[in-house]
Amino acid sequence: MPEALASPFMQKALMAGVLVSLLTGLISTFIVLRKMSFVGAGISHAAFGGVAIGFYAGFNPLMAAVVYAVIVAIGIETTAKKGRISEDVSIGIFYSISMAIGIALVSLSQSYNIDLFGYLFGNILAITHDEIVLTLITSAVVIAIILFFLKELFLITYNEELARVSGIRVNFLNILFLVALSVSIVVSIRIVGIIMVSALLVVPGATARLFAKGLRSMIAISCAAGLISVVAGLFLSYQYDIAPGAGIVLTSAMIFFTSLFLKKKE
Amino acid sequence: MSRAIKMEDLSVVIKGKDVLKNINLSLDKGIFLGIVGPNGGGKTTLVRTVLGLLRPTTGTVSVFGRSPESLLTEDGAFGYLPQQQNIDPNFPATALDIALMGRYRSAGALRWPGKKDREKAVQALSIMGVEELKDSQYSQLSGGQQQRISIARALAGDPKILILDEPSTGIDVVGQEDFYHLLKGLQKKMNLTILMVSHDIGTVTTYVDEIACLNINLYYHGNPLGALNEKVLTSLYGKNVDVLMHTDVCDKCERLRK
Repeated sequence: MPEALASPFMQKALMAGVLVSLLTGLISTFIVLRKMSFVGAGISHAAFGGVAIGFYAGFNPLMAAVVYAVIVAIGIETTAKKGRISEDVSIGIFYSISMAIGIALVSLSQSYNIDLFGYLFGNILAITHDEIVLTLITSAVVIAIILFFLKELFLITYNEELARVSGIRVNFLNILFLVALSVSIVVSIRIVGIIMVSALLVVPGATARLFAKGLRSMIAISCAAGLISVVAGLFLSYQYDIAPGAGIVLTSAMIFFTSLFLKKKE
Repeated sequence: MSRAIKMEDLSVVIKGKDVLKNINLSLDKGIFLGIVGPNGGGKTTLVRTVLGLLRPTTGTVSVFGRSPESLLTEDGAFGYLPQQQNIDPNFPATALDIALMGRYRSAGALRWPGKKDREKAVQALSIMGVEELKDSQYSQLSGGQQQRISIARALAGDPKILILDEPSTGIDVVGQEDFYHLLKGLQKKMNLTILMVSHDIGTVTTYVDEIACLNINLYYHGNPLGALNEKVLTSLYGKNVDVLMHTDVCDKCERLRK
C-alpha cells in the first residue's frame, strides 16, 4: 500500500476519487429516496453524446458533456411534463438519441481512439491536474448548493405537493437538482466511466438506506460507503491489475450485499 | 361569522373533461366540513383548488377573502395532509423530524428549524397524543400513529385551516373512530376550520358540522343528517344504493353535537 501511495498517478487518483465519492454519496441519497435511479443511468449514457460532440468540435469533452447532460436532463423533465408521457419513456428517448449522436460523430471523426474508451469505461489513473481542479471546483459548488437547499429538498422528497403548499419553489429546485445530478455524473465519468457511473449514484444510497434513521445519517453513511468503495476499489485495482472503474463498482456492490446480509441477520 | 372558503361558479376542466362543474360552496370559520363522494368525483381536485395548486378553469375561489395562491406565501395559512398513499411509509426520519417539517416555512429559507420550532413541533406531537414517540422511527409506527404524526406536522405550523385528504386510509375501524374524535376535539379546542375529504359517508356524518356531497356537481351541502337520504345518495353514487338506517335520529350524532 505505501508503494501505491508513493506514485503520483495514484495520489491524483485518490484525490479525485475522494471528491467524487463525497459528491455522489450526497446525490445518491436523493436518487434512492426519490426513486430516480433510471434518471441517473439515462443522463450518464446521454453524456456520451456530449463527450463525442466535444471530441468532434475540438472542445474539452468533459465541459461539452456537462453542458449537454444539463440540456438532456432538462429535456427529459420538460418532455415528460409537456408531452404527457412517463419519465422513463422520456429518458429512453433522450438516452438512445444521445448515444446515436455520439456514435454518428465518432464514425464521422474516424477516431475511435483510446481516449474515448477512457470516457466509456473510466480511467482514474490517467486523470490530469486540470481535471482534478475541475472536479474540485464542481464538487464544491454542487455540494454547497445541495446543502444550501437540504431542508427544501428533504420536504420535496417526502411529498412534492406538501412542499408546494409550504411555499417551496418545487419546479425550480427540481431543475436545480437535475443540473447538480448532471454535473455530478460528468465529473464521475473519468473515475468509473459512462457505463458504470450510475453504480456510484445508486449503490451508496441503497447501502445507507438499510441503516439510516434520518436524512442526515443517510447522507453520512452514503458518503462513507462511496468513499470506502472508491479507496478500496483503487487499491484492489492496483494490487490485482484490473480496471479501476470495475474495481470501484465491484467493491461498492460487495459493501451493499454484505450490508444487506448483516441487516437481514438482525 | 366570516367566510373561510368561498367558491363561486367554480369549474375545472382537465384534458377536456369536466372534473368539477359549477360549484358554489361557502364555509364559515371554525366549521368542520366533510366532503364525500365516489372515486373520480373531483374531491381531491376541489382540495387542490382550495390550496392554490390548481387554478379553476372558470369561476373563483377565495380562502379567508384572498386568492389561495397569495395565501401560499403567507406563513402557516394551510395545514395540509395529503393522501397517505403518496407518502413513503419507510421514509428515513423520526416522528420529530416529520413534525418539524411543519416548521420549515417559519424557520425561513436556508435555515434549519431552531429551538423554538422544535418546541412547537413537540407541542403538536403532544396535542396528537404521540409525544412519547418523538424519537421513534416513522417507518416502525402503525398507520394510525403515522397519521397522527402527519397531523402534528400540519398543526406545528399554526394553520388557520386544516385540510385533510382521505385521512382514515390505512387505519382500522376502531382506530378511525378515535381519529375522527380527535379531529373533532382539535376543532373545538383550537377553533380550527377543518375541510376533510372522505369516501366514508357513514362515519363522517357523525363527526362533521356540515357535509358536501360531490360527484363533479355539488349535490348537497348542509346538515350531515340531511345527506343520508336516497335522493342525495343516488345522485352521488348511481342507482344501486340501498340506504340502511338503524334509527330515525342518530343518538351518537346528537350527543357529539351537544
